Parts: sequence; structure tokens; C-alpha cells
Amino acid sequence: MFTEVMLALVVGGVIYFLVQKSKRPQLKSEDGWWGEGTPPDREEDVSIRPYTVRTDKEELEDLYRRIDQTRSFPSLEDSQFTYGFNSQYLQNVVSYWRHDFDWRRQVDQLNKYPHYKTNIEGIDVHYVHVRPKNLPEGVTAVPLLMVHGWPGSFYEFYRMIPLLTQPSNPDDIMFEVVCPSIPGYCFSEAPHKKGFDSVCAARVFHKLMKRLGFQQFYAHGGDWGWIVTTNMAQLEPKIIKGLHLNFAPPSKPGLPMVLSIMLGHRFPKIFGFNEHDIQRIYPVVQNLVVESVKESGYMHIQATKPDTVGRGLNDSPVGLAAYILEKFSTWTDHDFRNLDDGGLTRKFSLDDLLTNVMIYWTSGCIISSMRFYKENFSKGLDQPHSKMPVHVPTGFACFPNELMHTPKLWVQQKYRELKTFTPMARGGHFAAMEEPELMAQDIQNFTKMQEKRKK
Amino acid sequence: MFTEILLALVVGGVVYFLVQRSKRHQLKSEDGWWGEGTPMAGEEDLSIRPYTVQTDDEELEDLYRRIDQTRPFPSLEDSQFNYGFNSHYLQKVVTYWRRDFDWRRQVEKLNKFPHYKTNIEGIDVHYVHVRPKNLPEGVTAVPLLMVHGWPGSFYEFYRMIPLLTQPSNPDDIVFEVVCPSIPGYGFSEAPHKKGFDSVCAARVFHKLMKRLGFQQFYAHGGDWGWIVTTNMAQLEPKIIKGLHLNFAPPSKPGLPVVLSIMLGRSFPKLFGFNEHDIQRIYPVVQNLVVESVKESGYMHIQATKPDTVGRALNDSPVGLAAYILEKFSTWTDHDFRNLDDGGLTRKFSLDDLLTNVMIYWTSGCIISSMRFYKENFSKGLDQPHSKMPVHVPTGYACFPNELMHTPKLWVQQKYRELKTFTPMARGGHFAAMEEPELMAQDIQNFTKMILRSQLDTM
Repeated sequence: MFTEVMLALVVGGVIYFLVQKSKRPQLKSEDGWWGEGTPPDREEDVSIRPYTVRTDKEELEDLYRRIDQTRSFPSLEDSQFTYGFNSQYLQNVVSYWRHDFDWRRQVDQLNKYPHYKTNIEGIDVHYVHVRPKNLPEGVTAVPLLMVHGWPGSFYEFYRMIPLLTQPSNPDDIMFEVVCPSIPGYCFSEAPHKKGFDSVCAARVFHKLMKRLGFQQFYAHGGDWGWIVTTNMAQLEPKIIKGLHLNFAPPSKPGLPMVLSIMLGHRFPKIFGFNEHDIQRIYPVVQNLVVESVKESGYMHIQATKPDTVGRGLNDSPVGLAAYILEKFSTWTDHDFRNLDDGGLTRKFSLDDLLTNVMIYWTSGCIISSMRFYKENFSKGLDQPHSKMPVHVPTGFACFPNELMHTPKLWVQQKYRELKTFTPMARGGHFAAMEEPELMAQDIQNFTKMQEKRKK
Repeated sequence: MFTEILLALVVGGVVYFLVQRSKRHQLKSEDGWWGEGTPMAGEEDLSIRPYTVQTDDEELEDLYRRIDQTRPFPSLEDSQFNYGFNSHYLQKVVTYWRRDFDWRRQVEKLNKFPHYKTNIEGIDVHYVHVRPKNLPEGVTAVPLLMVHGWPGSFYEFYRMIPLLTQPSNPDDIVFEVVCPSIPGYGFSEAPHKKGFDSVCAARVFHKLMKRLGFQQFYAHGGDWGWIVTTNMAQLEPKIIKGLHLNFAPPSKPGLPVVLSIMLGRSFPKLFGFNEHDIQRIYPVVQNLVVESVKESGYMHIQATKPDTVGRALNDSPVGLAAYILEKFSTWTDHDFRNLDDGGLTRKFSLDDLLTNVMIYWTSGCIISSMRFYKENFSKGLDQPHSKMPVHVPTGYACFPNELMHTPKLWVQQKYRELKTFTPMARGGHFAAMEEPELMAQDIQNFTKMILRSQLDTM
């Protein structure tokens, strides 16, 4: 009798488990409204308005006045970038900014691609939309949505865009690229109501792509862009033809991941660990815990007090530059902390770095950009979407100096249709800006593979 | 044979354990030098120079210009202080600051007590030194060192000082008070070299008190002042006659603390828990974990990237005020997060709050003040001093809304000679500024008790 009951329980449990697994929980989301006050009675404004980035004398004079009145305070002797952005090098950057950086010219550069704004759920959403020129007869461009992160912007993708819309190789795919700004970032309006998290951003971007006439498209993202595009794949798996990522830290470490951490050093082949994986993961406490704690202070304060920490940054361009550029140093290679100049210009030009900073400065978006952390973390790390796997074809570009290293096994835990996993030759967190050719190449490879399957 | 060996091991282990416990580890510390470049050859400058807080037109015009050019950005609708300092209320504070706050008058207020500077280990240390007037014949004032924290200053003690140096009650003790600024804070020079942590501050303050001629003295502290004065007691237990604290979070939760958390709800009397203890500790995850995570973002970023987060705060007075005053709101009562005005002026006047902000602004010390977090946490939470108990007579004032609530049992784990533990009627983290009478009263009671017990042993 006892044996029968036990057997029934076990069989029942296995069946239940299998049924649960095969059920694909779909992420659900309700419409929101993010404008000021109460929504007006009138029809939704679905117009698409061309947008030009502008500047004027007043903006520049104000910037220079603030730069000139920065109150310097020296860094500790022999501290490089280990206490944050070094004061001496900050002086160099600011000098360049004040005397050599040409914002008007950079604005022209920004405008070389067409910008637009359109109102979705009560707020103006900004995006860059680049259609390929000279499309061969009978060829349709493949639509690709690229979503940025913090403290980046659509500008991170600028060097990649021509490689995707006008590839030199005739075998390469011609993409039609859409790079929006997450609401609260850059030239997109900031939500006025609480609660605008990554799922809301995903829903808004789905509406954007629908409004632009796309039935299906590919999506690429890193940093917040990773979560937003992942949520898009979870919301509407049939619409996302392929998901390409360069960042995918595990939200819920499951058994395979934990086992791999415990045993991966001894049995790397079992877990598919290569030498680079071993190097990045072990010793575990140093690499996974201490490093994370050292570099997540910004995340902690932005996820709890964004309005407090952002306030001063919106008044002080020098402070804003230090805050943002520290990431472009440390997240490109954390060994740069030990360099007097933070290795900032080893992979980036000051012009590109400052253009990104200027986008945050001129739009005044630093506070709202930080609020995204609070909205996403305030319910803890247990969001519904973080527990759901992703079932659209996925490609992962694994850059060696990414902030959080994820071996193939870990990425597969969430991304159940991982089609490509490419260990990249070089690059860190801001890979799109740092290594645009390598990234574009991987997007090409991934998409070609997907497109061939379809045929 | 086996039994004998086992017995020997157990006995040996117990003996070892007892011997270890009775050994009173003394905290050791070596001299440092914190000035710019290399130390100059020559005698150390021991002079004590009077210091006057000053301001001028230029300073005020610069401040007003920066306030006028602040770039507002509205807080989310219906968010109160949950996302940090609310923009609407910040506007009100800034308007008062711009039009009504009289910094010249506040500077005079600051100067009503004598200030000094003296060079120790290569940097200028600032302090306020108040000697009691009209000391009765044959009475010596009791020396008391009071150390502030972040984002506070010596100014937090201003209302308390007269209650200690000129008490109205003839039975009260007359104190001689020294309130220094931690190097890197307020009018003390900031260290130029890495490594200036709480033990260094403790050593520097010992040198200060020696230089002022004190052989023994009492010490009071909260926030960083708690660790600095505790380190002072650990460095030189014979010199600190009594240690009075209002903040003492356990650095190393030992077995008693953990057991009390697990069982304290069911067996409060066993652990000496009162109703307030139960209310502040349970539910455990919410009160001890979630609340801490919600409120420790500043600590995390300051302990890792002080130069980054502080940079803008040194350019933007409005940003600095928001950053500092958010703490005076939330750390006074965390329910203030749900108020549109953060309850800021329920316990403090805008004049006092802004005076403290102005001390940070005019001295330009925000970056160096934040570095103290990195210096103290960079070796992790396992500092030698955090493992050492404290053996000087200690008094603890337990304010109901303190950031981290510590029942008597927890305080006793580290402070082995806890003489007084007073549940206070009201008050939060900035208790000295919020409830100066209550705090002064408890310092009086504690000191009287210590003096009495000393007389008894004579």
C-alpha cells in the first residue's frame, strides 16, 4: 500500500513537473500612461515627427560658465582611478572639453542620421531610423531594433550603423535600423508617473515598431538594452525573429549554474568551460562577489535614491562627466582602475565620450535615467520576467572584458534557443562603441543563420 | 588511551579558550603622515592657533549664483521622498536658503565658541574648545571629547554644549568640551595620502587631547564618532575614563546576537528584549535586511567611488543640500520617506540644517568626507578593531528611531563594561542635534555614575 502511494506521488510529481516545463508562461503587460496629470480625452496622437538635434550659443555659454566655475579638489596621491575618477585626469578631459571639443560639429554628426519623435502612452519617444540607401532590386531590408543602456545612448551604435545598413560585403545582410532612446533617457521624454520599468519600455518599443509598420524584426541590446529586448521577446515571441545580446547576467542562478561554479574548476569540460571562463570565474569570491561589490555602488544608490544622487549631476557638467566617464573606463577593463588616466582613450576618442556626456547634459536626463534602476529593482530581484525563460532564437556575443562574464551554459539557462555563442576577440561592456566591426560582424553572422533557416 | 587523548584535547582546548579570552587584545597603531608630498625635515609644529570662521561677499555671491542657475527636474508624481529628496520641497528649502537664510549671522553663531587649529601628523586639525566660565572654587571641569559623524559636523553639538559647560542644575557636572572635526571634514584639513581610517583619526585625537594637556577624559560619539571614540578606547583604555555612545551597530554578530534574533520573539525575557526591541527587530528580513539595503546605497558608493560621486556635489550647492538633507529626513524617522516635505522641519530648523550644509559647502570637504567610507571599508568588514571588545566603562543612549537598533544584549557583546543603557524617550540618528537636552542628561547621568563608582573604590 505504502509503495503504491509513493509510486503514485513520484509519477504524479514527474508528470506535473514536465507539464509545468512545457507550459510556456508568456509575459503579460497592461497599457500604461506616463504623461503629466491625467490623460486627455482626445484621440491618441500617433503622428511621427522628424526631430533635429540642436544647440545654440546660450547652451554653450552656459556649459562653459559651469565648467569654468568647477571647484577642484585633488585626488589622493598615488590613487589612480581606485577612488573613482582621478582629479588630475579629469582636469585634462575638462580642458579638452572647454577648448577643443566642438559640440556644434558633433551635433552635425548626430544629425547625419534621421531622428524622429512620436507620442506613445503619453510621452514622446525619440529614435533614430536609418533606412539603407540603394537597396538592390527585390531585396527587403531586414529590420533591426537596437536598444542602449546606462550611461550610454543611441550614440553608442553610430559606428555600427553604416556596417549594418551599407555593408561592403555583398553577402552581408542590409539592415534597416531603429535606435530608440529609453523613456527617461536622452531625447525621449521622461515618464511622469511611478512604475516605468523594463517591461513598460519593452511594450512601448513594440508599439513603436508596429507604428513604423514592422510585423517582425530582430533586436539587439546590451546593459538595460539586454533586459528591454529580452522582455520584448518574452512579451511577443512571434514578433522577435532573433535576439542578439552582448550582456546577459543570470537573474536566477539555478542548479546547473551553481554546480558549474562549484565543480567547473576541476571538471571544465563537463560544463563547457574554456580557459577564459576559468580565468574570469575563479577565484569565485574575488571575481564574482568582491568585484561585483566594488563596482555596484552606483546601482545601489540609483536603485534607492535616484533623485538625490542625480540632483548635483544635473547642475555640474564636470561632475556629470566624471560620473559617466568613470564607467567608460572601469567597465571597458577593470584593470584600468590602476591607471592614472583610467585608460579612457585607449578604446574611445574624447569626442565620442563627450558627445555621449553632452547628450545626457543637454537633455537634462540624468535623474530620470537613474530612476530606471529603482523602477526595475524596487520589487526586488524576483520580477516575473526574471523567472521566465526566453524562447526566441538568440545569439550571444561574449566579449572578454564584459562586466559580468557569462559562459555558454549560464546563458542557455534562460535563453533556451541559443543559436550562436561567439567568444569575441576583444572588448568590454560598451562593446558596440568599442568594437563596432566585431559586433556588427556577429550580428551579421547570427542574422544570416536565422534568415537561412527561414528560407 | 583514546579517552585520555580526547580528554586532554578538550581540557587543553578549554584552557586555551579561557586564556585567549582573558588576554585583552590592545589595538595597536603606528604614526602616520598625511600632508602633501614628503614630510619636511625639522621639528613638528605643535602650536595651537585660534581660528575664526569667516565669510565674505564673494563667497555669498558665488553661492547665490550657483543656486540661481540650478537646473530643476521634477520628481515623479506622488513619490514624496521615496525616490530621494523631493524636487518640490527642495525648491522651498532652496528659496529659503537664497532669500532668508543669513549665513553671516550663522557664522557669528559658530564663532560664539572658540575655534582652534593645530597641526598633527602633517595636517591641520580643527576643533572647538569650550571651557566652563565661573567654575566654583576647587572644582575641576570634567574633560569631554565629542566626535561627530557623516554628514554631520561639530555643529551638531552646539545646543548641547551650554547644557554641559554651564548646567543649570547645581548637582550636574561641569564639563570642559572639545569638539574636533575628523580630518577631511569641515574645517580640518583633508589627508593627502591613502589609508586614513577611523584608527588613524582616533590616534590623531589622542594626540590632540594630550597636546591640550588632558591625561584622562570622557568621550562621546555617534555615527563615525562612535567608531572613532571606540577605537580611542581600544588604543588607550586607561586614558578614556568613560565612553558614551548613541550608535553601536554590531560589527561581528556573534552567537548571542544570532540566537536572540532567532528566539527573541518567542522568549523576549530570555534576551532582555522589551516591546520596542521586538517592534524594531521583527519581522527580521524586513527590518534588518530590506531596510538596510534601502538605506545603504550612499554607503556603498562612498565606500567604493568617493571621488566620482562627490565631484558634482562640490559644484552644486543645491545638489549638496539634497544629498545631505535627505539623511536628516530619513535617518530621523524612516516613515518621513512618505511625507511630501520629508518631515525635515519637524525636529530641526532650516537654519540649523543649512548651517551644517554650509560647513560642507564652504570648506569644500564633501569628497574627502566620503573617502572616510572607503578607507574604513576597503579591507572589508574584518578590521582588527571590529573583532576586539571594549573594556572601558561605557554608557549607551538608545534612541527609538536610530538607524540601526541595538538592544542591550547586542551592545554588551562588544562593550564589556556597559554601565548604563538608557532607552530614550524620542529621537533618531542625529540625536545630539534633535534632542540635545535628552542627550546631555544621559551624558550627565553616565558621568556622575562613573565618578561615584570611582569615589566608592577610593
